[in-house]
Amino acid sequence: MNKIEAKNVDVYYGAKQALFDINMDIEANKVTALIGPSGCGKSTFLRCLNRMNDVIDICKVSGVVKINDYDINQKDTDVVRLREKVGMIFQKPNPFPKTIYENISYGPEIHGIAQSKSEMDNIVEESLRKAALWEEVKDRIHEPGTGLSGGQQQRLCIARTISIKPEVILMDEPCSALDPIATAQIEELIDELRKEHTIIIVTHSMSQAARVSQNTGFFHLGKLIEVGSTDKIFKNPTQQQTQDYITGRFG
Amino acid sequence: MNEKPHTVKSYEDQLKKLNNDLVEMGANCETALGNAMKAISTNDHNLADDVINSDMVIDNFESQIENEVVNLIALRQPMAVDLRETVAALKMSSDLERIGDLAKNIAKRTKLINTHLPNNLIEAMSRICILVQKQLKIVLDSYLSRSSDVAQTVWESDEQVDDLTNKCMEEVISLIKSNMENIEYGSHLLFVTKNLERIGDHTTNIAEQVFYLVTGDYLEGERPKGSDSELTK
Ligand SMILES: Nc1ncnc2c1ncn2[C@@H]1O[C@H](COP(=O)(O)OP(=O)(O)O)[C@@H](O)[C@H]1O
Ligand SMILES: [Mg+2]
Repeated sequence: MNKIEAKNVDVYYGAKQALFDINMDIEANKVTALIGPSGCGKSTFLRCLNRMNDVIDICKVSGVVKINDYDINQKDTDVVRLREKVGMIFQKPNPFPKTIYENISYGPEIHGIAQSKSEMDNIVEESLRKAALWEEVKDRIHEPGTGLSGGQQQRLCIARTISIKPEVILMDEPCSALDPIATAQIEELIDELRKEHTIIIVTHSMSQAARVSQNTGFFHLGKLIEVGSTDKIFKNPTQQQTQDYITGRFG
Repeated sequence: MNEKPHTVKSYEDQLKKLNNDLVEMGANCETALGNAMKAISTNDHNLADDVINSDMVIDNFESQIENEVVNLIALRQPMAVDLRETVAALKMSSDLERIGDLAKNIAKRTKLINTHLPNNLIEAMSRICILVQKQLKIVLDSYLSRSSDVAQTVWESDEQVDDLTNKCMEEVISLIKSNMENIEYGSHLLFVTKNLERIGDHTTNIAEQVFYLVTGDYLEGERPKGSDSELTK
């Protein structure tokens, strides 16, 4: 089943076109990796999926992006609600300068998800557990989130994102600031998370794309060159450009 | 697809070396097979010794190629066509090593035969050997030129080898039946015939690998088999 369908998506920054007629279906409860050289438009495309490009003044998006068959580019789309359904994790972990607990309770609180203190406690614990962080922080959840290691901070951000139960999680190079062990923990987590969420991850590490994803899309100069099962892309891609890129014969 | 060179030159060099080693290993196997056949046809024990001794070179190629493949996988994480090249090289080298062993076995049996063989048997064995040598040469060429079509023709003609093997075995058996004193060298010849047929099988395996590395697909279906005989099963 397709969770997301992008049709004829063009994006411009001012006069400069960044994405050209992107058509891509994204399957539910799968991890889809987006790969390609820097500047090819991966982050731009990711931001099309929760209308984060809206906040960039010069950015103009056209085309259709359907999530659960609903076109999110309609004028009357509730963007706050959309971003609740489509969470985002960035390259650099960005916890709030608050306690671990507050980092997570913040979202459910403003969205009015928890009715009581004990319900909030449960949400915080469950989110931290699902982000594979609970055991490491359960004795210090009232200490600042910024005191955690980089890998722990990234898992805290993931816990914060999943606390409001998004259906889709967008990740933009979530491991590029992490060491190999922290990276492996996030990758393991991604595999767990896809049971309940649909995940799209931008990564500049080809081996990470191969490890974590079921589907892979290769972007080049603003175009989606090829998309298919990760297996096929890395063993026997259809397009010469894809092969040149993943085998290191590029440019 | 047409491959440009890799951005990282040392990676490009390592893949090239793997390719060259495999080609050289294949050439050694061709020589071993040719010499083994010549040795048994002319009862030349010195030439048989050459074949036996030079099998070490083929064995060394296999372990060297295995080493290179493990290094490539561990250090370069080859993808797509490079991954297929690497995996195919590993499998092909093990088939070539078996071909070397079988040629060596023919040479060893040559040394246990102290009589000139009847012409009709030499001819029957030569017919298999010439065909198998031709197939081996073609398949190694198909590897060099990355031609899946040519590899497929080798794969499809394995049945001719089976047919010739059956005919040869029948001739050896009737020779034994005609005079039980022939049983000693006769049984060696049955093994030699079987060895040639198995060299044909390994050649066909190599054809499958070439096809896979070029296309990314597996040759479909049951491998073509010659007329059914109990002897070649
Ligand atoms: N805020 C922006 N303003 C202007 N141009 C931008 C902006 N963000 C991205 N671009 C341009 O759009 C193209 C795609 O960028 P991006 O989506 O960040 O690529 P990637 O994530 O693949 O590295 C690049 O040419 C980049 O310079
Ligand atoms: Mg980016």
